[in-house]
Amino acid sequence: MPEAELGPLPGGHHGLSREQIADSQRERLLAAIAQEVAARGYRTTTISEIVKVASVSTRDFYELFDGKEECFLAAFDAVRAHLEELVSAAAAGEEDWPHRVIAALRAALGFFAAEPDLARLSLLESVSSTPAIAIRFREAVLAAVPALAEGREELADPDLLLPDTEDAILGGIVSLATRSIVAGETEELFGLLPDLVDFALSPYLGAERAAELAGAVEAGDSPSQ
Amino acid sequence: MRALPGRQSRSSSDAPPASVTRTSAHADQRRRILRAVGELVGERGYGDVTVELIVKRARVSFKTFYKHFPDREACLLALCEIAFDSSERKIRERLDAEPGPWPEQVALALRTLIELIVVEPVLARAVIVESPTAGPAITARYEQATKALVPLLREGRAFNPRGAELPETLEDTLAGAIFWSAYQRLMVGEAEQLPASVPVLVELVLRSYIGPAEASRIARAEAPDLQPALA
Repeated sequence: MPEAELGPLPGGHHGLSREQIADSQRERLLAAIAQEVAARGYRTTTISEIVKVASVSTRDFYELFDGKEECFLAAFDAVRAHLEELVSAAAAGEEDWPHRVIAALRAALGFFAAEPDLARLSLLESVSSTPAIAIRFREAVLAAVPALAEGREELADPDLLLPDTEDAILGGIVSLATRSIVAGETEELFGLLPDLVDFALSPYLGAERAAELAGAVEAGDSPSQ
Repeated sequence: MRALPGRQSRSSSDAPPASVTRTSAHADQRRRILRAVGELVGERGYGDVTVELIVKRARVSFKTFYKHFPDREACLLALCEIAFDSSERKIRERLDAEPGPWPEQVALALRTLIELIVVEPVLARAVIVESPTAGPAITARYEQATKALVPLLREGRAFNPRGAELPETLEDTLAGAIFWSAYQRLMVGEAEQLPASVPVLVELVLRSYIGPAEASRIARAEAPDLQPALA
């Protein structure tokens, strides 16, 4: 955040800098677009509704964003940054790769289950809104490839797993999670954890070890992290 | 998807033979409208396609359009139904025509699916990338299409001693991985790269059922330069 104070706003006796105002307006707009998009879908969300919900003027909206797409992308990026922080923090506490993957999946599913609006925004609306947003979504998913590919060090025979398999594995995981949201079962997302652990780990660790770890997750886990 | 709504019929439509029946003219209009909606949605995205653009491209009147479809969403849904039905049928026919052991049948099914996409990239983009944005009815049909491969994949459980213990969602997740790969390539306009994903997908799918060594062997037999056998 820029340090420079621009001084109080004209006629302002609130003691807030221009940037502080803009930041809080920006935050309110991001929250508003998330809420509106989750409720009615990206296409039918309008800027006039967003500014109304955020209590921001249309003029101030356009000071901050070029339009609806840019506002949505900012909201998407904010969700992504927050989720990545949660996932890294969860994974950092684990000492081996399989448990880092489990912790990451648990953190991500837990987050989406607890935040159905943000789950809808991130996993559903982002894919079906505009090409620029869909590409941003793809980048966000592919950002997980290196962490998953660390599992290749666990392979008994590294030649037995083609390159680019990580992309397909992540695609399967995202698709299954998305399907739950489409089916209106967002709060049950967390129940997918054991199956997804099995799915993510078995290419690297083999079916038996993956099933063992998935079984341990099933036996020992509750949604509270 | 190749045998879809008619290019041929469009060229012949300028001078319909005198003997043309009302029914066949009607069917021909419908084909032209479906072809037009597929091309336009694949080229521009659903959001930018209007009924006006569709009727222009199909060279039919508004009145004709509305005789066939209440709106553009219904029109795209009809296209998706035809595309999914025809793809599913072609994959089944291919499997019947070239019977073999289950792992090879899975590889053949995936290769056929990708070939169907690659020969009609614009239409495939309309159906696979754009249609999920077009409303709940299409989303439901799409969901059903992604499940079409599930029964074939499930047969693989018989080859795995712990087949019954595999996660209940495994086939759905694998089918999701397959559609994801197609979706992602089509979205960035790289349909021609898709055949390179066939071995990856074959290997990923098969290893859960027959183990990594066999899966890897069969995946590598899938030549990366696929012949468009259906062209």
